[in-house]
Amino acid sequence: MQYDVAAAPGRLIEARRRPEFTSWADRVAPAAFIMPAVLTILALSIFPLIVSVYLSLARIKFEKGGVTVTFIGLLNYKKLLFGSQQFHLIGTLMPITPLGWVFQAIVAGLLILWLVTAVRRGAGVLGLVGRLLVAVAAIALALLFTSAGAEGGQLGTIGVTLTYVVIGVCVQYGLGLALAMLCVQNLRGRGFFRVVFFLPMMITPVGVAYTFRMLTDTTKGPFSPIWQGLGLSDFAWAATAWGARVAVMIGDAWQWTPFMFIVLLAAIEGQPREQVEAAHVDGANHWQIFRFITWPAIMPVTITLILIRVIEAFKIVDLPNVLTNGGPGIASESMTLHAYSTWRALDIGGSAAIAYMLLFIVTFFCTAFVNLVRTRPPARAAGAQR
Amino acid sequence: MRARRSQMRGINDPGPAWAALSYAVLGFWAFVVLFPLYWLAITSVKLPIQVNDGPDYLPFVDFDPSLHAWRYIFVDLFVDTARPYLNTVVVALCSSVVALIFGSMAAYGLSRLSYRPRLSTIASFIAGVAVAIVGVVRLGVPWQVGLAIGLAVSVLLALALRRRFTRALKNQDIAFWLISQRMLPPVAVVLPIYVLFQQVGLLDTRFALAVTYIAANIPIVVWLMRDFFDSIPLELEEAAVVDGCSRYRIFWSIVLPLSKPGLASTFILVLIMAWNEYLFALFLSSANAQTLPLTVAAQNATRGPQWWYMSVLIIIMILPVSALALLLARYITRGLLIGAVKG
Amino acid sequence: MKQWKRLGLAVALSAACGALGMAGPAAAGKYDGVTVNVVTFTGPQIAEPLQRRAPDFQKLTGAKINVITVPFSDFYTKLLSDFATGTNSYDAAVFAPQWMVDFIEPGYLQDITAQVKSDAALKWDDIGPFFRDFSATYNGKVYTIPLDGDFQMVYYRSDLLKQANMAPPKTWDDYIAIAKAFQGKDLDGDGKPDYGSCIAKKRSAQSYWMVLSVAGGFLQSKGTGQGLFFDTDTMAPLVNNEAFKAALKVYVETTKYAPPDEINLDVGDTRALFTSGRCALTLDWGDIGTLAIDPTTSKVNDKVGAVVLPGSPKVLDRASGKLVDCTKDTCPYAIDGINHAPFAAFGGWSGAINAAKDQKIKDAAYDFLSYMSQPEQANVDVTIGKTGFNPYRVSQFENLDLWIKAGMSKAAAENYLGAIKDSLNSPNMVLDLRVPQNQRYEQVVLDTAVARLLAGELDIDKTAAEIETGWNEATEELGKDAQLKAYRAALGLK
Repeated sequence: MQYDVAAAPGRLIEARRRPEFTSWADRVAPAAFIMPAVLTILALSIFPLIVSVYLSLARIKFEKGGVTVTFIGLLNYKKLLFGSQQFHLIGTLMPITPLGWVFQAIVAGLLILWLVTAVRRGAGVLGLVGRLLVAVAAIALALLFTSAGAEGGQLGTIGVTLTYVVIGVCVQYGLGLALAMLCVQNLRGRGFFRVVFFLPMMITPVGVAYTFRMLTDTTKGPFSPIWQGLGLSDFAWAATAWGARVAVMIGDAWQWTPFMFIVLLAAIEGQPREQVEAAHVDGANHWQIFRFITWPAIMPVTITLILIRVIEAFKIVDLPNVLTNGGPGIASESMTLHAYSTWRALDIGGSAAIAYMLLFIVTFFCTAFVNLVRTRPPARAAGAQR
Repeated sequence: MRARRSQMRGINDPGPAWAALSYAVLGFWAFVVLFPLYWLAITSVKLPIQVNDGPDYLPFVDFDPSLHAWRYIFVDLFVDTARPYLNTVVVALCSSVVALIFGSMAAYGLSRLSYRPRLSTIASFIAGVAVAIVGVVRLGVPWQVGLAIGLAVSVLLALALRRRFTRALKNQDIAFWLISQRMLPPVAVVLPIYVLFQQVGLLDTRFALAVTYIAANIPIVVWLMRDFFDSIPLELEEAAVVDGCSRYRIFWSIVLPLSKPGLASTFILVLIMAWNEYLFALFLSSANAQTLPLTVAAQNATRGPQWWYMSVLIIIMILPVSALALLLARYITRGLLIGAVKG
Repeated sequence: MKQWKRLGLAVALSAACGALGMAGPAAAGKYDGVTVNVVTFTGPQIAEPLQRRAPDFQKLTGAKINVITVPFSDFYTKLLSDFATGTNSYDAAVFAPQWMVDFIEPGYLQDITAQVKSDAALKWDDIGPFFRDFSATYNGKVYTIPLDGDFQMVYYRSDLLKQANMAPPKTWDDYIAIAKAFQGKDLDGDGKPDYGSCIAKKRSAQSYWMVLSVAGGFLQSKGTGQGLFFDTDTMAPLVNNEAFKAALKVYVETTKYAPPDEINLDVGDTRALFTSGRCALTLDWGDIGTLAIDPTTSKVNDKVGAVVLPGSPKVLDRASGKLVDCTKDTCPYAIDGINHAPFAAFGGWSGAINAAKDQKIKDAAYDFLSYMSQPEQANVDVTIGKTGFNPYRVSQFENLDLWIKAGMSKAAAENYLGAIKDSLNSPNMVLDLRVPQNQRYEQVVLDTAVARLLAGELDIDKTAAEIETGWNEATEELGKDAQLKAYRAALGLK
């Protein structure tokens, strides 16, 4: 969809005032538009990037006269993946139960089906290789979850973070979309709802985490009478692995649904109004209008939104930190929290290694997402209006 | 068009059953949103023993409210509250405005113009950086000199390799590079950035914080605004180009006004991210440039979280941003003028 | 001749100061125009008394004290990165002496041995021997001025124990028995069942100190210099043995008689539970004494008793790794055959000075810290709960009047101060771990392993093995010789 209009004005210089300046200015327009952003980012990102990569390959010691940085190669990574911190990052893996094998088979089957369909649709070599990689990663993940879910197994921070991201973003998107659709209607007081729904995002994440800690307290929180009324006074959500994870995800959903809501609201209100009204006049019902007009119209925004939110969700740290500090055991600890607590204990190299593992996973996830989504026929609003 | 809309029940006028369901769902979610805020508000007027003793729901009915927390924050600690407050406002506003400007420009460029940065240029750039790093770290050259040498190397190499290697990246790749800046957790880069600002003597200044937030938030602005710009039909701009408008004029006079909802919602989002950021604020400030999120987190001291002070701080933090969101709400909710242009 | 004049002037001025009842160093105006940046964590604890007394100090000496506060959870990293990168934006710091080693080894802290020895107003010998000789000292030199005494004790509901005719716990078995007796009973009169014991077992909070408090009595019996964590000759961790496993067993056992979400409670939560009357026992630092008498925070005024940390009748024989009975030989400091090892967890907030600053600023900083620690100021501050300062001077628990004036009843004051005195005077007090990067040993390895034990992921044997492996790995990575040297230096061994 790139339309190179930059070339056009140059041909019109004869007819215009101040021709040299205008043409020069227009010739550098592409650079002028993008350079401020690129330069700012480069200035602040090159040095930290290089230093942190180097730190992940080194060990730091504070000694007289400064900091000594000793290069140790991939030892930090080895420790995380195969060494003493493996239980922390990857988890405790147990032999897979028969049920687990059944699940694995189903997953593998679905993936093979997907690959075959792609071949039949005529994907190029690069596309196939990419899909193959995604399939392998998906199987590895399935293996991780089934063997950590077996008796005596425990999910490490990679699995926990992926849980937070996938379930969290799905829930937040679904909620945000539903609320936006409802708020678009001509209801009395919808202005009130729009403002109110936006509030949770405005609280600083640390504040949200503490607020939820107050709310989920089973002895002095506001829900404790309900808790006790239901006979759950001996059950502590914080003492079970999934209880702690669900608590974190609830707090995360509360805080970030407004993000989805506000962007989707703007997008839904920006959909081509005449098309909607024309369809309505023609007798289309809500579902058809949603499926054929609204959904394609908000698809580009959805992709962007999910991408941005996924990247932020991978970095979740405040809620697990404040609610449970990653407990019970390591059940609710996210990778960023893992990196953070390692960093606080002055193992800067180890912390950088965890951060780069996270970067690797996020890059893989987002590249796969962007590429897979882009192969759909583009249904951009601008195109629809041409 | 308005007349036609009022003649029949428009698509957006729900029937009674649907309206009831909508109100139920919206009301439920409004309760979910407002209850924690209510709890914060009443915690801010509770004494420690009232907080610890068990839930008290209604002031004056279940417990006697006390203004001790508010008094502590605003009277006892006035300077230590006012200074972070001012810093937060200044840093968040300035960085969001600049990020919006830079980001929208870049988004427009990525949406309308075609960029083809050659791989050879990028490689030369990386080579220059490598030379600078080696020079500074291994050979002990002062960083200013290293920077200059690296720059020179990049430029020379780029000029030399231009003709030979022409393979280039596309807009989508630039956009992906931009968003990939947000993928690394801040904890990995906070110490290098601390050292960076220390070397230029800008630690504990609002400027350093603002610059960091601008760099951190530009990717979000670019991605969000790119979608909004993409949805503006090209005919408007083509017409302007035929009329002889410069790119800048088109951007400023045609595209930006049409994107007000996008600009408003992006501005609010970026403002919130800068307003609430914790880790960089913690490290780049010490006495003068502290911001409010630090004060909130600091309420968790050795005695455990001091819920009453924290509640006060959270509440006063939300107020300005909410007010601004209210102000900008009418921009966000205004529909686009595509219909007006067409019709 | 000039020297005599100056001496005469100094004597006259000092006499004048003394006559005006002003306790403090030097004459007014000595530090005119000097600003001292003191960093600590955001209060009101610790920061409030510093801020409150800064104007007084300024009146006395002309030095402006600027108290900078940072969030507690990141205080350590921020302080260290400030020193390590040479930014030096802080002139003095009031921090935890446990972190001292990471600052002393690279040479960031000023050696104040000479100043302390020649400072009469400070009354150095009034400070409890443990805090003087172990907490503030490293390798024979003094680096910090104590402002607070942090050690753990067990608090109990004196009214409940009296009713049930039970004595305060002397051993951990007693503790468990009392907790069992009160678990599920209604202890605060609201009709809901309450808890026997409340210990802050939340991960990455204070749990690792709590477990070490339990372990102290089993592991260390021959005095502070014996150390709790490692063998002083080989740097072998003292965790994979009968004694530590017995301590872990006690630690897990107490969870049975506690709130159901105890593994997610930090010290703020357990204090809240205890002072609102919902726990019969708790393990905590000195704050509960002053919190209990404050009507805005407590429902149990005059119902609280304190006792020195329970001990064990069996201690570790380091050669064999087994538990042996307490005899005069194995437990020279035992009381009634039970070995107590009060644990100075964290160390007690102290002030240290940045060695990289100008002499004038360093002197002003020293004088301010000395001023804060002098009995005239300190003895008042420790009676006020809000200050976060707990007793560390002998004179603070010998004079009951200040405590009674603050609101304690005579009986409660005697009991509280008695427990403090027993702890403070114990020659077997445990020094918290002070090797470089000690947080890695305690917070990353020990805390994670214990959290997993409490969550049921590991059993006791595996936990002890995990801790041993993790500690050995950390020692290997940081250099065994350097770590051993630091460990011995902290314990005062040559």
